[in-house]
Amino acid sequence: MKVLFFVCQLVGLWVLNELGYFITERLHLPFPGNVMGLLLLFILLVTGVIKLAWIESAASFLIRHLAFFFIPVAVGLMEVGGLLVMNGVAIMTSLVVSAVVGLLVTSGLSQLLERRKERANEHIRNTM
Amino acid sequence: MSTFVTLCSILLTVGAYMLSRLVARKYPSPFTTPVFFSTALIITVLLILGLSFEQYKPGKEIMTFFLGPATVALAVPLYKNRQLVVTYSIPAAAGIVIGALATTLSAVLIGLLFRLPHDVVASLGVKSVTVPIALEITALIGGNPTLSAAFVVLTGTLGTMIGPWLLKRSGITSSFAYGLAMGVVSHGQGTAQAATENELAGAVAGVAMGLTAIVTSIILPTLIPHIL
Repeated sequence: MKVLFFVCQLVGLWVLNELGYFITERLHLPFPGNVMGLLLLFILLVTGVIKLAWIESAASFLIRHLAFFFIPVAVGLMEVGGLLVMNGVAIMTSLVVSAVVGLLVTSGLSQLLERRKERANEHIRNTM
Repeated sequence: MSTFVTLCSILLTVGAYMLSRLVARKYPSPFTTPVFFSTALIITVLLILGLSFEQYKPGKEIMTFFLGPATVALAVPLYKNRQLVVTYSIPAAAGIVIGALATTLSAVLIGLLFRLPHDVVASLGVKSVTVPIALEITALIGGNPTLSAAFVVLTGTLGTMIGPWLLKRSGITSSFAYGLAMGVVSHGQGTAQAATENELAGAVAGVAMGLTAIVTSIILPTLIPHIL
């Protein structure tokens, strides 16, 4: 019974995924169908059409093992080994520098704005 | 014969994954992260057995069937933490949009500076998004899906190696800002790293990863044709 419920949840997530692709293709939206599926599920959860308990166990199972899906894709590195060796320095520079830039910009900016918001809240509390 | 090879490649992948989880728990290190460790192990076994990626591919198609539904499932952590997103909506939105743009553009510009082929540069653009979404964006902007996946995995690993060290040394004391940066830059792997250090950082990273995917999948297909 539990297994059947779990399978139904998986099918449900798959249906939402297919629906996402159907919508983006029909409307010619320039972004991925699976992201549309994500947005659909989010909206259905917020509006209460779908209850969290209906899909939670399959969803958390898939997210917990998300890394598994990366593996067969990463094995494809076998095919591009030559290209990676040839352009290794350029690619690694791009990956390392952009990771550092992204980390510093994201954390620096959000910490600054978070502090400012906290200070503003304190100010409101002090003047009340 | 080919059905047998397919079955074996699936068993090999599942086995490598299960083994890597055990190893990662016992010896936590960037080199024992499941993706890095399993991939290295599988490629080694395939090379020893003299099998090509072409022979592994049918198994890959079966195993990645649930990639799409797994992406849809990311709506669940987003929904669970929606209060957090609302409370910090402005710093979160600014950090995610500007951060995703900064990491994507710097990667693409360095690629152009080194005169890398265009499909390689396009693949560099998607590296901060989780694999299933990266593959879809790649199809839209004309990159190489295998390279995109490789860059995503490399970025995730790099972020978990550099991130904690770099952010602590550059004066980031807020768990919120820390988690946000890890999620924006290093998607799933960054989220897992942030979650082991701090519960709030983990939750924020998960949300950031999902939102970065959405932001990037809207920005890139409109931006890339103008740059390349």
